[in-house]
Amino acid sequence: MSLIEVDAVSKAFWIPSVHRETVREHLLGVFEPRRFERLQVLDGVSFDVRRGEGLGIMGRNGSGKSTLLKIVSGVYLPDRGRVSTRAAITPVLELGVGWNPELDAVDNVLLIGSVMGLTLKEIRASLDEILVFAELERFANLKLKHYSSGMSERLGYAVAFKAVREVLVLDEIFAVGDAGFKARCERRYRELRSLGHTAIIVSHDPRIIATFCERALLLDGGRVMVEGTARTVADQYVAMLTQASREVSGATSPS
Amino acid sequence: MTDGALRARLIPAGLVWTLVRTDFKARYHGTIGGFVWALLKPMSMFVVLMGVFSFLFASNPTYKLNLIVGLFLWDFFAEGTKSGLTSLHARGYLLTKARVPPWVLVVTSISNAVITLAVFSVVIAIFLVGASHPPTPAALAAFGAYCVAMMAIVIGFSLGASVLFLRYRDLNQVWEVVLQAGFFIAPIIYPLGILPERFHFYLYVWPPTPVIEFSRAALVAGVMPTTRGHLYLAGDAVFCLLAGMVIFRLLSPRAAEYV
Repeated sequence: MSLIEVDAVSKAFWIPSVHRETVREHLLGVFEPRRFERLQVLDGVSFDVRRGEGLGIMGRNGSGKSTLLKIVSGVYLPDRGRVSTRAAITPVLELGVGWNPELDAVDNVLLIGSVMGLTLKEIRASLDEILVFAELERFANLKLKHYSSGMSERLGYAVAFKAVREVLVLDEIFAVGDAGFKARCERRYRELRSLGHTAIIVSHDPRIIATFCERALLLDGGRVMVEGTARTVADQYVAMLTQASREVSGATSPS
Repeated sequence: MTDGALRARLIPAGLVWTLVRTDFKARYHGTIGGFVWALLKPMSMFVVLMGVFSFLFASNPTYKLNLIVGLFLWDFFAEGTKSGLTSLHARGYLLTKARVPPWVLVVTSISNAVITLAVFSVVIAIFLVGASHPPTPAALAAFGAYCVAMMAIVIGFSLGASVLFLRYRDLNQVWEVVLQAGFFIAPIIYPLGILPERFHFYLYVWPPTPVIEFSRAALVAGVMPTTRGHLYLAGDAVFCLLAGMVIFRLLSPRAAEYV
């Protein structure tokens, strides 16, 4: 049975010729109409995610991967199409889960844990485990604004790995931390999958998609170009990058 | 739908409590001392205004009591609307990274103002008892109802303004100017009676005015406002709440795109 069904989803952003973000700018510019350029980020994307599978999403920068994850996670609304979810989704988008820099790690874990649907009792019971996973026990009472980006990213993954209930959505998984942390993430990921959890992973790394997913999509220009086994899609992605690289070299080399 | 999906659609009490608690900690650095500073602002204003204007209104024996009731209710209105207006932007770190109902972020953002109002209500009660004006249970119940009406007004404003602020980033400055003028439009430092009666209607259009005037009537003068007055206040509160909800419903689905 499909846990997530994405049906002909399209999303565009309107990019103005001049950014106006204040009442003052809007009033002063009332006689200078702006032009808007339509940026089609997703165009009729359809796929489904079955219970217990790992789905990889690949594509070059600007292909619509992150927007697609935000739509699947319920952060963005699609302009057209439909997303049906029959399971709780735990997202880690753009290497983060949304920290308040003015709070320490403990309060942030309580906040994000409860946003992800854990009860306060569950979060308090898991707090030590989360901090140990992220190797941040010594910095539990340090405000997040004093954390390095790597530290806050590690904490984000530690919370998400603990909070996941059914579907884990990961943008650029295993791109944070040192070799030891990456190995722990990989172990935890395999453990979750063996327990029957579903995962959607976005990555530029063909090895990650081929290793951790069974199925994958290749996005280009907001459309699904290839859908198939993770190995096939990873190979297609490498071929696409090689082709693009040749075209750039050809265009820039002196004739 | 799985249990997890159903649980994800509910608003957990833990989330509301954590948002209130973390907002308090972030604002007051997690200390009671920080909260005391928040209380000192209207208290010091009360002392200064009382020192100056009690000479001007020396013939009015209840001026001080009216001033403290007006100032504390105004403080709730001003602080609540300011926090609510910027709430979605301030909590954009959650809005763009997780599926969280935006209205929860807005409504919980006024929790600090509510806590302050609760503390001030006790202070008001102490002042009334100290000034030999102990409030009757009926007066306290009426005051509670007026506070609820004020909360509905603040929540309605916050819902509408929070989504507009994401599109118009200087709306907080515009609102500061409105509040500055609004402080004098609401009869806080002067009794409404010093103005010609034909202007009273216009002052009552400004939402804090009926709440302040009715609270003073019930707590200080011991007189209950008319049924018509109560209906006006109820209508005012419901209108503000509904207007805010309509704007919020129209604009909040795409709020994350504007953070």
